[in-house]
Amino acid sequence: MNSSSAGDRGTAFDPVGGTARLMFYSLLAISLMALDYRGQYVERFRTVASHLVEPIFWAIELPFSSAQRIASSWRDRGETRRRIAELELESAKARARLGRLADLELENAQLRILLETARRTEQEFIAAELASVDLDPFAHRILVRRGRTDDIRPGMPVIDSHGVLGQVDQVLVGMSQVILISDPDHALPVQVLPSGERTIAYGSGSLDRLRLTDLPMNAQVNPGDMVVTSGIGGRFPPGLPVARIGLVQRQPGQAFATAFAAPLSAMDRNRLVLILKTAPQPGYDASAGETSQQSASGPDAAVGQPAEDGVAAEQPEDDSVDGAEPAEDESP
Amino acid sequence: MKRTGTLTPVLTTVAAILLTVIPMPDALAAWRPHWVALVMIYWHLETDNLRSLGAAFAIGIALDVTTGTLLGQHALGLVIINFLVGRFRNRLRFFPPWQQALAVGALLINERVVQLWIIGLLERGWPDWSWWLPPVTGMLLWPWLFLLLDALRSHRRFAR
Repeated sequence: MNSSSAGDRGTAFDPVGGTARLMFYSLLAISLMALDYRGQYVERFRTVASHLVEPIFWAIELPFSSAQRIASSWRDRGETRRRIAELELESAKARARLGRLADLELENAQLRILLETARRTEQEFIAAELASVDLDPFAHRILVRRGRTDDIRPGMPVIDSHGVLGQVDQVLVGMSQVILISDPDHALPVQVLPSGERTIAYGSGSLDRLRLTDLPMNAQVNPGDMVVTSGIGGRFPPGLPVARIGLVQRQPGQAFATAFAAPLSAMDRNRLVLILKTAPQPGYDASAGETSQQSASGPDAAVGQPAEDGVAAEQPEDDSVDGAEPAEDESP
Repeated sequence: MKRTGTLTPVLTTVAAILLTVIPMPDALAAWRPHWVALVMIYWHLETDNLRSLGAAFAIGIALDVTTGTLLGQHALGLVIINFLVGRFRNRLRFFPPWQQALAVGALLINERVVQLWIIGLLERGWPDWSWWLPPVTGMLLWPWLFLLLDALRSHRRFAR
């Protein structure tokens, strides 16, 4: 850290050497950025370095989480009761809906047996709290309080109660970084309902829209249509809600139409997210980006079906809520 | 001028990185100054520490990893700041505080331009006017930060 040239204090700034060094370090920084942007070249370095800075995250996290714990243990009894009543009502409603879904699921499974298609596998998921760390707002990343000790792997899909949020990027010991679907580097294989048109949803760099390119000019895509994951690529299970189509551009002279869609998940307003534990598919390659996996849309047994809401029908596992989670920020 | 130990500059830099990612209320988040740059400028101006461009680069990489930006994004900004501080060091040191604050503000705005250029190239969305708030905060905070770090430094010197 220290400059070793302590002796030259007082001597004039050396313009030639200084400029040369500036050029050197600037070029170094720029080439590092290019390598980091273009792919996985410096991934290993980033992983190691992220582990080194994890104590910083914990240093911030701990006072906040303990403050939350104290606040929740001191919370007014009446308020807690009211909150419990509210949640009970909500869960009763949700259970009623789930009952209907379970029925549908059974029916669906039987139909699938009749059709001799692959059975949908049960989704397991882990609930994760957002860490109290503000990453760069232009980095399109969030930090969650689950890491390698919770069996998180890079590439696992992350959703919230409304839709797909992103996927796990960097896994640290007790935390992991999630890349949001709004990141311009992120590509998500999707399907537009009800027409069933398949395409890729790219991040646009702003939190409130995704870009759907490569749509045929005559594709049946209209504003208000639902966008769900198609399951192609094997990383995201099919049928998760992603976004709603906002604007469709069909420019004459262009080969393909472009649509913009607003993500359903509350990108930057979540406290609790779910990390799906997907079993690695055959041919799953952890190092390959999503973009390289956009295989041709062949007749894929698991894909062509319209979505059933596979996520809502799951019961959370034992670790769904830490018990000390304050409830204020979830109230409508 | 005595050379201070490395401990204080390193600790204050770590504290600055902490302040950079600590959560703030939404209303204040846009005003968050570039703490790391401010601390680095102080140590460069007043002591021998954090003087080399290599140190600025290393701090920048640490900041990049922490905030989740591209590797080199903050490093480039800090290297440029450190270069300019080195260039005008002898003049900056003898400015009265308010004038020094203006100069620091100019350095921070320059850094912001560099960042804007990178973000623009990456097509990561175009920031709005609040992009230019942190240099203002940094400029206003500079005299106070200067006094604080001065106190820290002299305390450590006399303690030994």
